[in-house]
Amino acid sequence: MNAIELNDVSLHFRVRRHGRTSLKDYLLHGLLRRGESNIIEVKALQQIDLKVAQGERLGILGHNGAGKSTLLKLLAGVYPPTSGTRRVTGRVSSLFDISLGFEHEASGWDNIRYRSYLQGETPRSVDARLNAIAEFSELGEHLDMPVRYYSSGMLVRLAFSVATAIEPEILIIDEVLSAGDHSFQAKARVRMRSLISSAQAVVVVSHDMDSLRQICNRLVWLDHGHLRMIGEPNEVIAAYLRSMQGDAQPMAA
Amino acid sequence: MTAYMTDIWKLRNFWMALVRNDLRNRYRRSLLGLGWSLLQPIAMTAVLCLVFSNLFDGISIREFAPILFSGLTFWAFIVAAMNQGCQSFFQGESYIRQHRIPLAIYPLRTVLGAGYHFLVSLVVVIGFVWIMKGFGNVPALFGLIPGLLLLFVFAWSMAICTATLNVLFHDTSHLLEIVLQILFYLTPIMYPPKLLQEKNLGWVLQWNPLTTLIGLIRQPLLEDTLPSANTLMASLAITVASVLLAAILLRWCERRLVFHL
Repeated sequence: MNAIELNDVSLHFRVRRHGRTSLKDYLLHGLLRRGESNIIEVKALQQIDLKVAQGERLGILGHNGAGKSTLLKLLAGVYPPTSGTRRVTGRVSSLFDISLGFEHEASGWDNIRYRSYLQGETPRSVDARLNAIAEFSELGEHLDMPVRYYSSGMLVRLAFSVATAIEPEILIIDEVLSAGDHSFQAKARVRMRSLISSAQAVVVVSHDMDSLRQICNRLVWLDHGHLRMIGEPNEVIAAYLRSMQGDAQPMAA
Repeated sequence: MTAYMTDIWKLRNFWMALVRNDLRNRYRRSLLGLGWSLLQPIAMTAVLCLVFSNLFDGISIREFAPILFSGLTFWAFIVAAMNQGCQSFFQGESYIRQHRIPLAIYPLRTVLGAGYHFLVSLVVVIGFVWIMKGFGNVPALFGLIPGLLLLFVFAWSMAICTATLNVLFHDTSHLLEIVLQILFYLTPIMYPPKLLQEKNLGWVLQWNPLTTLIGLIRQPLLEDTLPSANTLMASLAITVASVLLAAILLRWCERRLVFHL
């Protein structure tokens, strides 16, 4: 059975040239029947067909703005497809934007709880994990402080510790995380590896070819919202690098 | 819709924890805690009593002050639910961007916070009414319970509506302020309802759903009776209508809302 199936998925969204629409403008435009010049349609993903089987580790590469993060958010269910179907079997854990979403007035301890609840845990199951999470974060007595006073590095540590505390079924990762200082990064990498090996399916976006090669058994190359190539990691990386050089040469000339 | 409500229930630990956090922040910050937030309706009542009890003939302060206080408390809840409701999706933005969970959770968080405060104020109102005129029929106070439940569902639905509109149109909150200001005068909060009825303006009140809803609070509190069957049925109809409105709005654009945040 496939953990993830995308059938002919496209995602378009509308972006406003300036600011948000006001009801006043909306009604005025509606009454006067003038064209909505304020709106640009972005075709973020186009006709993506993708299947991720149980046990697969899929990597996504592509230029900035190719739609990688959008694809991840679609897989995680945050973005709905404009057309086509998305089927995901299993609980999704996503690791992106993890340093967002804190209650700033609440202590680190409380925030650990909120995030765990958000991931579907109960007070009892969090109690069992609380100390392990705190220990992994190495934040010590800082956890008693409101999160408002945390540095960004501390926030990432906290977020990472919570987000990786439960074993995911389907793991979706944006960039192999660079969390905190050197020693923490090493630790985070070890935990990431173990998560990746225990998850039933993994989708990871990265610019780091080496880690993609190590982690993934298949790669997808996204180009301007299109699925340009999918296949064995070495082949895809080679093709991707070749095209980058091809793009670069005319510019240098 | 059942599945939707089940999803919300499954996440109860999450939103209840957030509500507790909100309340702690709200009450911890001020020196007097609860006091400040109660001071506003009390002061308003005192001032308005002074001014209006002289304007409205044939009504004593003992009668008028409870009408005012209960009305202002009711109104404070409605305003809080709708105004703060406006911001609820923006407040939860970073959660919305990471997790796919029912969006109605965020207005729920707001309304539960406002609702808690409403209950506390209501206790003060009950004490106040007791001092001013006493209760002829104490068991009638239990008649508040169905009304409070209906009010809560109504406020949640309205908060969902304002929150959604505010994401789609950035001037919603300004517009809402104006609408609420107007409604404030069209609802018998500052004046006894019979005043308008005598002046043949009763229809204004009749078509204002908030007049009906305010009866849910005032009948048990001031008239020593359970809410009348009329009031209950009409309130139920209003609440169901608001739920439908919220459900339609969410069904129409819940999934797309994330693009507008």
